[in-house]
Amino acid sequence: MIGFAVALLSSTAAAEPKRGGTLHAVFGSDPPTLDPAQATDTTSSAVIRQIFDGLLELDERLRVTGALARSWTLSPDHRVYTFHLRSGVKFQAGREVVASDVKYSFERAARGKRPWVFEKIRGAPTFIRGQAADIAGIRTVDEHTVEITLDRPFAPFVYLMAYDAASIVPREEAEKRGAAFASHPVGTGAFRFVSWRRDDQVVLEGFPEHFRGAPYLDRTIFRIIPAEGTRFNEYRTGSLDISDIPTGHCRAAQKDPPLRDQAVVWPILGTHAVRFNVERPPFNDRRIRQAIAHAIDPTVAVNGLLEGCVTPARGVLPPAMPGFSPHVRRLPLDRERARQLLASAGFPGGRGLPSIAFHFNTGDLNQRIAELLQAQLREIGIPLQLRRLDWAAHIKLVDDGTAGFFRQGWIADYPDPENFLTVLFHSRNVGAAGNTSRYRNPAVDRLFDEADAMPVGPGRFDRYTEAEQVVLDDAVWVSLYHYSSRALIKPYVKGLERSPLSSAPEFLAPLRKVWLDR
Amino acid sequence: MLSEWGSAIGRRLLALAPVLLGITLLVFVLNAVALGDPARAALGQRADPEVVRQIREQYALDRPLPVQYVMWMRRLARGDLGHSYHQQRPVTEIIADRLPPTVHLALAATLVSIVLGMSAGALAAARPGTALDHALVGAAVLGISTPVFWLGMMLSLVFAVSLGWLPVSGYGDGDLGHLVLPALTLGALHTGTVARMTRSSLLEVVRLDYVQAARAKGLGEWAVLGKHALRNALIPVVTVIGIGLADLLVGAPLTETVFAWPGLGRMLVAAVGQRDLPVVMGAVLIFAVVYVLGNLLVDLAYLVIDPRTRAGAAE
Repeated sequence: MIGFAVALLSSTAAAEPKRGGTLHAVFGSDPPTLDPAQATDTTSSAVIRQIFDGLLELDERLRVTGALARSWTLSPDHRVYTFHLRSGVKFQAGREVVASDVKYSFERAARGKRPWVFEKIRGAPTFIRGQAADIAGIRTVDEHTVEITLDRPFAPFVYLMAYDAASIVPREEAEKRGAAFASHPVGTGAFRFVSWRRDDQVVLEGFPEHFRGAPYLDRTIFRIIPAEGTRFNEYRTGSLDISDIPTGHCRAAQKDPPLRDQAVVWPILGTHAVRFNVERPPFNDRRIRQAIAHAIDPTVAVNGLLEGCVTPARGVLPPAMPGFSPHVRRLPLDRERARQLLASAGFPGGRGLPSIAFHFNTGDLNQRIAELLQAQLREIGIPLQLRRLDWAAHIKLVDDGTAGFFRQGWIADYPDPENFLTVLFHSRNVGAAGNTSRYRNPAVDRLFDEADAMPVGPGRFDRYTEAEQVVLDDAVWVSLYHYSSRALIKPYVKGLERSPLSSAPEFLAPLRKVWLDR
Repeated sequence: MLSEWGSAIGRRLLALAPVLLGITLLVFVLNAVALGDPARAALGQRADPEVVRQIREQYALDRPLPVQYVMWMRRLARGDLGHSYHQQRPVTEIIADRLPPTVHLALAATLVSIVLGMSAGALAAARPGTALDHALVGAAVLGISTPVFWLGMMLSLVFAVSLGWLPVSGYGDGDLGHLVLPALTLGALHTGTVARMTRSSLLEVVRLDYVQAARAKGLGEWAVLGKHALRNALIPVVTVIGIGLADLLVGAPLTETVFAWPGLGRMLVAAVGQRDLPVVMGAVLIFAVVYVLGNLLVDLAYLVIDPRTRAGAAE
């Protein structure tokens, strides 16, 4: 793509890593919590990932590796995972991690804000609803062995075990502190919590007894700076070592000599889209949705507003997603076809069509994209009314089905098509759980059900691809572009991973790998 | 004198109760009318319907609105402002965290407005109609009308980015360096108001007989202005400063955003966005108290500055 600097590997040069120093990182907003069971946002996750470890983790290329688990095995029927824990791993409070910590942590988190991470485990749904004393599918075999049984095979389960909701917490600390654990977290991670002044900064320090050895950095300070212009100024004066490129400065940063070598753009696992509520007239008529899809040209937004720093989308899945198929196609820009479809639906030239509102949440970029859509739909005779609301109001109208045509993207929690397609289009997830298009297609559901339960392999991805094409042909969702991370990284910051799950300014990357070359 | 103070304070505190009741009820109703569910808003892009239901139950969001309001008032009577939906910790703690930075910034900005505003106002009044007067009045109008966001960015660009004299943003450890730019930015608006008020008030007073008498005694112009006129000209100025201080003590979201200052203003804006009603209600309650107390302080200042207000109370 134009001007797309894709960096697959971080700059872990041949040089020997140096120890010491403080990394000055930044967030755009205060993390609401530092408790892995309570977090639902990337800012919280970015801190939680440094303080805690899970059984598994993902490397920069999204491969699963062991963390607290030394190794793991999967039963022949793909339902039972046996995790062998490392011995001698210490919590920051001093005690050694044992298998019962895993069971405790998962059960605690299953009753937290992201129960979906655990719902595939046998007995989890009843436990989550408060109808069981524990999750039957989690069994501690001995002090260092945990066996987890799923209801049915679920290949992405290893990703869930690498997700920050599945972090291991020490029972006695969590119980002693109660809700205050969220502001005084204790884990096994490479960094331990030092202080947090709300809306100002979170300070972590290296945990010398981390099971992989002490991290290179002495400290990490996450400043909280809401204005992107201010973050940019802090970066320029050297007070921040890593940050994000402000909106509208992507090209400039890539050309400007001092910043040129520090501006890095890489694709992440997210898609910006507009969706229809297919239950709501006139969008219950597929032809109307298709007409609108044929009239939308995302390249205008991509090359203009977004300065070519994102990729125009053809399908739902982003190219960096395992299982992405280059053959999937959204309905192409074709105004003639759009007019024909409108006419065949009984609204030639848009005449007689009820007024159509486009809902979006507050934000400069969203506003300008909405105006672009308005101009593009006018071409086929559809006048669009723009409805701008703040996030809380917007998501309410989207979730409860009031909004018929709306902006809502998606960013993957883990690198599997299931986390995009099944979440967004399975009839079981209609509403706030993800399928806000309220799309119900038994054929697509069946493909998802099969694929979700299949072992990793081409047959599995083929089913997702087939379902994705059906969804796009049905014009349930119109992809605009795939998100990218637009980062500024000082040349002396080494070892900062740029995985497709890591996005500036939060950088969900493991900071234990980061060192400062100065 | 003591009893005068006592009654002034008593009256103000009595007035506080209906103000607080009215304002909390208003905020509660406005929040109820506003679209959006705090339980859903707290859950990011993917909300588990079961979790939404649990949060609604936990915070009694599933109860009728009047019941929720009565529950809130009952807790308030015990000094409990409730728990934030979003941060899941006590509202009193959340607000207490923000008080030191907010108070620092408000006092510093007020100090800026007093020192700069009163000097400029006095200077302009001393030379009315001159180029200096026009320049100062012009500057005051500029101070009042410059958007805070822009001014903050400009000050930051010049003094932090280009010259490197001061930090770009942040609270630091509450040190002076971090305070200067936000205080200047926030103080600019009030500086203008104070300057204009000082000037017009002084010009009014200098026309009065007793000032003419002081001049006739042969006192120098600065002594006339400084010793005799200024004290009497102060009353309206003090009103402006006092109300300005109350204004600043409730936070300044734009300045706080530009300078990443962890104050009450940013907190309130975020809480409204998250529909975090307990935090919004708690903050509004504090704001109302601050406003009423601010006005009380202004009244007390009158008693100190102007003996006639004391006599008036006695008669």
